[in-house]
Amino acid sequence: MARHRTAAAASSVDTDAPRRARQRRTPSDLVFRGMSRTAGLIVLAIMLVVGVFLAVRATPALDLMGWRFLTAQTWDPGGGVFGVAGVLTGTVLIAAVAICVSVPLATGAALYIAEYAPRRVAPALVNLVDLMAAVPSVVYGIWGFFLLQPHLLVAGDAGEGLPRWLTTYFGWIPLFKVDGYDPRDPMANATALTSSTFIAGVIVAMMVTPIIASVMREVFAQAPVGEREGAYALGATKWGMIRTVVLPFGRGGMIGGTMLGLGRALGETIGVYLILSVVFVVQPHILQNGGGSISALIALRYGDSTPIGIAALMAAGLVLFAMTLLVNVIAGIVISRSRSGAASEA
Amino acid sequence: MCRQWTREHRGGVPGRSVVRGLAASLALLVAVLSAPAPALAAPQLVKISGAGSTWSSNAIDNWRRNIQQRKIYVSYAATGSSDGRTQFTNGTVDFGVSEIPYGFQDRFAGPDPRPPRSFAYMPIVAGGTAFMYNLKIGGRQVTNLRLSGEVLTKIFTGVVKRWDDPAIKADNPGLVMPGRRIVPVVRQDGSGTSAQLTLWMSKQHPGLWDAYCAKFGKAAPCGVTSNYPYRSQDGFVGQSGSTGVAGYVGQSNAEGAITYVEYSYAINQRFPVVKVLNAGGYYVEPTAKNVAVALTRAQINQDRNSPDYLTQVLDEVYRFTDSRTYPLSSYSYMIIPTAAELNITEDKGYTLARFANYFLCEGQQQADVLGYSPLPKNLVEAGMAQVQKIPGAPKADIVIANCNNPTFSRDGTNTLAKTAPKPSECDRKGSRQSSAGTGGATQATPVAAAARCAGEPAAGGPTGSNTAGGTGNGGTAAAPSAGAVVDPDTGQVIGPDGSAAGGDDGAGGGGGEAVAAVPVSLAGTGGWQLRHTIMVIAAVLLLALVLGPPLLAQSLRRRRGGNGWEAS
Repeated sequence: MARHRTAAAASSVDTDAPRRARQRRTPSDLVFRGMSRTAGLIVLAIMLVVGVFLAVRATPALDLMGWRFLTAQTWDPGGGVFGVAGVLTGTVLIAAVAICVSVPLATGAALYIAEYAPRRVAPALVNLVDLMAAVPSVVYGIWGFFLLQPHLLVAGDAGEGLPRWLTTYFGWIPLFKVDGYDPRDPMANATALTSSTFIAGVIVAMMVTPIIASVMREVFAQAPVGEREGAYALGATKWGMIRTVVLPFGRGGMIGGTMLGLGRALGETIGVYLILSVVFVVQPHILQNGGGSISALIALRYGDSTPIGIAALMAAGLVLFAMTLLVNVIAGIVISRSRSGAASEA
Repeated sequence: MCRQWTREHRGGVPGRSVVRGLAASLALLVAVLSAPAPALAAPQLVKISGAGSTWSSNAIDNWRRNIQQRKIYVSYAATGSSDGRTQFTNGTVDFGVSEIPYGFQDRFAGPDPRPPRSFAYMPIVAGGTAFMYNLKIGGRQVTNLRLSGEVLTKIFTGVVKRWDDPAIKADNPGLVMPGRRIVPVVRQDGSGTSAQLTLWMSKQHPGLWDAYCAKFGKAAPCGVTSNYPYRSQDGFVGQSGSTGVAGYVGQSNAEGAITYVEYSYAINQRFPVVKVLNAGGYYVEPTAKNVAVALTRAQINQDRNSPDYLTQVLDEVYRFTDSRTYPLSSYSYMIIPTAAELNITEDKGYTLARFANYFLCEGQQQADVLGYSPLPKNLVEAGMAQVQKIPGAPKADIVIANCNNPTFSRDGTNTLAKTAPKPSECDRKGSRQSSAGTGGATQATPVAAAARCAGEPAAGGPTGSNTAGGTGNGGTAAAPSAGAVVDPDTGQVIGPDGSAAGGDDGAGGGGGEAVAAVPVSLAGTGGWQLRHTIMVIAAVLLLALVLGPPLLAQSLRRRRGGNGWEAS
């Protein structure tokens, strides 16, 4: 009935405009719309409240330090000088190491599960990867402290392992240099290679790999069957098909998943807290003892009872919050713009 | 009651079962009401939580596990003394545990004011801040290291940087110290252990400590701090919590590291601790007895009206000249609520008081085994009196004499301190050194023949696996043990003073004496060498081999394809 009426109204107008479609919503529709809208708004409101709370609590510290807060390489709220230059750089470096380690791992795992694994095994593998995401980060931290660091990466009193090999042969690259450590000196202390950005990054990589892998697996599985079969029909091998169909299709998802992992890596706290020897100067040598992490700094110094100390930590938290938000927003944009992402959004 | 109901539901003879059920439930009700009738208003046991010191957490964890059998559930988060004080101030925990009281002027962490809530201090256990280290000589763990207070201060202020420093050699005449860098491992979180160490350094070696603080922009006098300042480029490593620092030093890759923790952590890690030189001229270990002796000189605040009642001043402990004194001894304190405010209820107070009465009395028996030292009688009595201030505390009916505390005696003196044995003459400052192990590492470390103590058997002996003994006479080109460095030109084992390895080797052949092989660093063979060039060439060749053929084929095909296009 309603439709007829609108159609009639449209025909009475001279111009050939499309009719305005009117939708009548049922009450259950309205309730559902209202609920989901409220939930969405609450999420936004919580984000806003966190940001405002951090900004308000950080004001005394930011007033005191101004822009120097971003450049100062020390943390001495008692003396009135503090800044996040060192820990911010460290946070980024740890996240970068984590991404470098986890993206190849996650890509391989996701491709295997989506393309190669036998039908019967694949669900079990998916569960395993999800289980990896469910392990609490403190467990990864303890694992890193008691197994990964002393037995795998810096093993024995000579510190055998990947960091030592890297600094021995690639020490000429500033990134892999370790000050005060000569790998050819049998009396050199292996401690110079422990508690480093690299080791913290490897542990964070273990935590972000499952997140990245599950996002990638989802998009790989969505690669259109028609194109896959087209590729096969043109004589492509399995790898050829993956290279020409699955990977280009999933590029957006891969980037998006990586960015999501990066967001998590930037904020990882307890695993880093247990490993890292936190320093406040910019430490560009990722294999060398000492590094920075904003979240670990907050966890470490929260016991400081002075108001300015808390304000300084809040300011550091604000910087981290802003950075993580930025990364996640970029991730969202990349995912929604890509072909696979657009398909999954629709 | 529940069973009665179900039976009733099941049916049977309904009238009788209802009557029986009613009778049973009535009897139960009567029993419930009558038995604790006078205690109906009595407080209940509830779960309580605490946070703070990691220094004393090994003792607290043990006590709270033991008291679970009395249905008292205490949770304790060992997050550091600073955090414990803050959490108690904010009322997020029911009690705090801290090595230092509120109100210390901390140059790094800032002021630490007393909380507005009412509270009291109560000593819970005594112990020694020990220096746990990971050091090997010739692949063999050193367990008998001795250091004076000044050298320790120099290590933790970055003045003494190497284990073969003359000052360390002077303290250890029997050891051939390796030429390895010292890695001081410090607490990076707010810590009462850091506060105890810095307090001691600031009182005993203010010059060194103030000079170190000046590097961080702090004017003298620097005083006590909970946040130990350090820089990683000075070779310092920061770790979180006592478990963190002790775990770090205990790893095999941490050779050369030294840290400060409570004695119990070194015992749990099975690692040795430094014997520290006291004012009496002896190197001593922080055993329960030595700590008890030292703390007889602790000045306890006896002013009941002071907010700092029962807190400690340790200056006399540091300087006590008794040969059995461990200078870095101290008490640990619980901060207890004295009013039902914030989250404290009578029930919580009751539970906390019962927990406190337990560990002040019976709990002290375990202190020695755990690596702590029990409280003396006067502090147990004072602590029990403090417990009475907790809201809801039960009236104390504890006969202190029945606590079986090893420090108690009839005449009020500290039995443990009285019966503490004099240290061995081998531990006196001088040219002799004891070979006995310390802390959690009880195996002996062989000492050089010249420094060997008269009363002690030759350690190591034929069972010593890492010795070079018996391999040659007169220090000829003997096959050295693992870790020794042989001069490539002369074929001789190189020692820092030339004679150390060679001379002892000769003696070792005869008497089966343990010899410490001494690895030393040679002039470096760093820089670009032929093998590096060859490695690069090999890598380039490999790459060319892998990538060359397909690339070549592709370019050839393209050329041919291009020709074909032109032709058509």
